[in-house]
Amino acid sequence: MEASDRSDDFIPAGLAAYGIEADEIELAVIGAAHQTFWPPILELLQLDTSQVPAERDPDLSQAPPSR
Amino acid sequence: MSEPLDLSLREQAAAIAGGEVDAGDLLEACLKRIEERNPALNAVIETFPDRSREMLAAAPAGPLHGVPIVIKDEWPLPWRAQRFGAAEMLAETAPGESGPYRALRDAGAVVVGVGNMHELGASSTGNISVYGPARNPWNPERCPGGSSSGPAAAVAGRLVAGAVGADGVGSIRYPAAYCGLTGLKPTFGRSAMAGHHMAEISTTIVSGALCADAADCRLLDSVLFGEDLQAGRPEGLRIGVLRGEVSEDVAPPVRGACDEAIEELRRESGGEVREIELPELAAATLATVLIANSESLGGVTVEKLNDLDPELSPIGRGLLKYRVLLPAIATIKAAQVRTMARRTLAKVFEEVDVIACPTVPAVAPPLEAPLVELPSGTLTADEANVRGGALANLTGIPAISVPVGSSEGLPIGLQLQAAWGRDELLLDAAEALERANGRRWVEALPPSARGAEPLEA
Repeated sequence: MEASDRSDDFIPAGLAAYGIEADEIELAVIGAAHQTFWPPILELLQLDTSQVPAERDPDLSQAPPSR
Repeated sequence: MSEPLDLSLREQAAAIAGGEVDAGDLLEACLKRIEERNPALNAVIETFPDRSREMLAAAPAGPLHGVPIVIKDEWPLPWRAQRFGAAEMLAETAPGESGPYRALRDAGAVVVGVGNMHELGASSTGNISVYGPARNPWNPERCPGGSSSGPAAAVAGRLVAGAVGADGVGSIRYPAAYCGLTGLKPTFGRSAMAGHHMAEISTTIVSGALCADAADCRLLDSVLFGEDLQAGRPEGLRIGVLRGEVSEDVAPPVRGACDEAIEELRRESGGEVREIELPELAAATLATVLIANSESLGGVTVEKLNDLDPELSPIGRGLLKYRVLLPAIATIKAAQVRTMARRTLAKVFEEVDVIACPTVPAVAPPLEAPLVELPSGTLTADEANVRGGALANLTGIPAISVPVGSSEGLPIGLQLQAAWGRDELLLDAAEALERANGRRWVEALPPSARGAEPLEA
């Protein structure tokens, strides 16, 4: 199956799984957003972050504590 | 004396304090100017003259006593709930005393109107709003920037000398750049935020000032911060220039103006310029968008999504629904990217004082089709703008946009970012830039403003 086919399935299937309705225009918007966001999301998922624990409640007003 | 409404924010405050200008007269003149100029700009979506007069009558002596201010449609007022530029918000709202309102009131300022904004704060362009789009005073067919579109257009059109915006993913800096203003995105948590419908949830949004120049921003931000932001003169400024697409995939006139400004800042401060790399920048940009979007999902239910107000734009409706499809693993990764980016920045700021790059890679695009032409091709303005705007929101650092040039008769902005808590340094650096270029760009007025000088490259 081509990637674009999978994407075409993903959106209606995902919305249907939640029971979310969308008209044709909304589906077109969602499709455009998906085309924009999905490739970098896949790249993000490839990023090896195993050595990077997320900061617990980071204090964003300050630099992170030195390790 | 010049027409009082054309004075800077600090000059208006000083003139009222010194008895040279009557605050009541200034308020009435401001309301009249909004009536005259706003139809072409749609910057201010509501005025409430009686409330403003009551506010003035009760105004205490303070640093902004009697000075009219516009506040973005993102903050509740005691007599008006925010609408967030939208026909419907998923969050519950009610009239109330927001932090910025209290800060303004206690400083003696007069809230004279509510500023338009991009629907749901969801774009850097400002071209969609339930009130119709605000228009760029430099060219009403161009985007004013978003999401703080109305506050920026109101100040650039000289309806008021200062406005309060909010910045969750660049939303003060983009309109500052498009409209030729100075706009500070404060360090996270440093400016008034109480009463915002996302105050307890968001880790990216801050309030901040949009003004003509850095000294006015310093005054208005001091009020929003609740502390005096002391002025200084940066000496030996170490300026880091970001490599990569944020500085290089940029329209040539924007790149030229920003390069020139960076060199002027270096000379003015007797400093140095170093190239720096932020390997996490691309991932950080996506991480910011993922975090900002997921944080607003708390109030979402399927029932609400299936019963959205038909007056919400199709883009707004589609994006609200798309958010629920974003995978949880990506949000977790985004939090890890935030950690990585914060650690990298902490090291970078041991080597440099500020990081410089274009605020946005091209001048304001058309309202009808907000696309920008970059060396890499045609992009939506949002895709292009977020590259430079997201990092500060993700990591919490302060950032400022300063006008540094023009192209096609439209302003160009340079962004400076500094380490956590160094908001004052950014204002100092912005003032150093103003000295270096003879205040040419902060004093330029759009053709639509009375007494305007045309902006020339």
